[in-house]
Amino acid sequence: MQTLEVKNIVKTFKLSKKQQKLEKTKEKLKVAVNDLSFTAYPGEIFGLLGPNGAGKTTCLRAISTLIKPDSGDIIVGGSSVVKDSMDVRGKIGFLTSELKLEDHFTPSYLFTYFGKLHGIDEELIEERKTVLFSRFGIDNFREVKVGDLSTGMKQKASIAISLVHNPEFVIFDEPTNGLDVLTARSVTDYLVELKNEGKTVILSTHILSVVDKLCDKVGIIINGKMKICDTLENVKKSHPSNDLEEIFFDLIEEDELGGNA
Amino acid sequence: MKNIATVFRKEFYRVVSDKRLIFTTILLPGLAIYLMYSFLGGAIGNEFEDIQSHEMIVYVGNVPDDFSDYLDTLDLNVIYTDYVASEHDEILDLILIGEVDLLLRFPTTFDSDIDGGILSDVLTYYNPGEKYSEFSYGVYMTELNTYRQSVAYDRYGEAFYVFTTDINNDEHIIIDEDKAIGQGFAMLLPMLIIMFLFSGAMSIGPDSIAGEKERGTIATLLVTPVKRSEIAIGKVLSLSVISLFSASSSFVGIILSLPKLLQGAGEEISMNIYSMGDFVMLFTVLLATVLVIVGIISIISAYAKTIKEASMLILPFYFLSIVMGMSTMFSGEAHSNIFIYLVPLYNSINIIISILTFEVVATQYILTIVSSLVYVVIFIIILNRLFESEKIMFSK
Repeated sequence: MQTLEVKNIVKTFKLSKKQQKLEKTKEKLKVAVNDLSFTAYPGEIFGLLGPNGAGKTTCLRAISTLIKPDSGDIIVGGSSVVKDSMDVRGKIGFLTSELKLEDHFTPSYLFTYFGKLHGIDEELIEERKTVLFSRFGIDNFREVKVGDLSTGMKQKASIAISLVHNPEFVIFDEPTNGLDVLTARSVTDYLVELKNEGKTVILSTHILSVVDKLCDKVGIIINGKMKICDTLENVKKSHPSNDLEEIFFDLIEEDELGGNA
Repeated sequence: MKNIATVFRKEFYRVVSDKRLIFTTILLPGLAIYLMYSFLGGAIGNEFEDIQSHEMIVYVGNVPDDFSDYLDTLDLNVIYTDYVASEHDEILDLILIGEVDLLLRFPTTFDSDIDGGILSDVLTYYNPGEKYSEFSYGVYMTELNTYRQSVAYDRYGEAFYVFTTDINNDEHIIIDEDKAIGQGFAMLLPMLIIMFLFSGAMSIGPDSIAGEKERGTIATLLVTPVKRSEIAIGKVLSLSVISLFSASSSFVGIILSLPKLLQGAGEEISMNIYSMGDFVMLFTVLLATVLVIVGIISIISAYAKTIKEASMLILPFYFLSIVMGMSTMFSGEAHSNIFIYLVPLYNSINIIISILTFEVVATQYILTIVSSLVYVVIFIIILNRLFESEKIMFSK
């Protein structure tokens, strides 16, 4: 089954003294993700919402196998991030601002390089390159060094490279950051296409309107905990206003009143 | 294996496609060494030539005729001025300021003293702080000694010598010239080779691993379905090849500058004394050594948070390697203790000496190669662990 199941994952980080001061706490450990669970299915876009520091990125990093959960597991298309991390990495296309491209190389070179590391033969890499570069308007700067590209151009190149192996699971963290309206639209359109192709898409974003337009399911994380997780329709129905923004702010307020419990 | 080749090619291309890096990593070390050593050799040669071509200014007083005739036969580059007792202090002042090189005074009674068997004292005045004066003193003392011996021989005949050494012994000097030259190389090269290999690896290693951490590009690599060990091996191999290029450049620089460096000493040194077998052995040792060095530098670079931190942490190891090289510099002899050949880098230094002096012991050579390769495997396992550690890879 091509589902992505996050099962009760917990991730804690040690806080340095500097971080303790910044967070105004004497606790040496910070629980970044606390017993988080959700499932994303093929043919749907799962939107992950939450304020800064809520644990979204930690969750995505755990899915991408960059970090291991302290407990719990994530099953990506039948492979465990804990036990079969290599398999998981072959199945996912991961995009986050944390993953940078080397300034010295061109988008074209890096696309081929990462394609090879994903075990794709050169012919197929070239085919994918033609499709994705034209789709995201990369052709004009395909042979320009990444270091000489604008933020938006870099983001486009990163998106194309993350999809080089045509992954079944697409995990995008703020994919429209730094993009102009036109390109942002082409990215969101492409996500819908991927969904229609039966891919499992997880989208983390701050932009509520994007969630409203694109997502089939929504999970709102606050302080490491999943506060609500359901179809967009059901989430909206749960609040008299039927407005995602209102629901989001109410949940934050609720959490603050509850002393972050 | 395929992934190792892909990572290797990309790391290699990173350097060779960057003109600035090619210049600083591969061309500059050799060029800098060539220019530096040539300049040094040129300066020494010029100094030597300058002294040789200098016209000595020597004041002489009461020089016996036979000694004067003898000096005339020597074709010395000199201007003689007769000594006048009233100008004695002025001459000494001129020697002090370097205007006159030497004052040579024989007693007025020199000839009669010699005939009468009285000990006669010849006076010389010179300034050791002035190079021309010191050189002139050396020349005239040599000639005075020759003159002294000839006077003594006239007086006592052969009995004067008491005994002689090696007048008719043609086999007096027994030397294997190749080995003597090899000994010279063995004193000079091991330290330089280790230094060159280390500095070559140091110039690119931190950027390749710590730099990727610092710039956030390592994470992009770590989310691909590639084993961490393949990334580690690919990086270590490409860094090793580039370090070898860099070290070769330095090596070529030193070989090309040797004739200029040694021109003052008038010696002729050439690497032609070594056979192809010697070069093959040397190359295998260099390869094993560079892998060990790159392994050490890669581990430090993976541990460090930034390029700067990596460069700082590598320095003590660099100094340690220089100390190891220097420890054998004066003896120019390899250790016979077999356990020495298990110590990383120190084993390489010793086996390089053995190769250069034609005294390789097979077990020592094999032990060096095998132990170095074992260390490289251990280093790659450690590097693999570091790449797997989220704490190390993503610590800020």
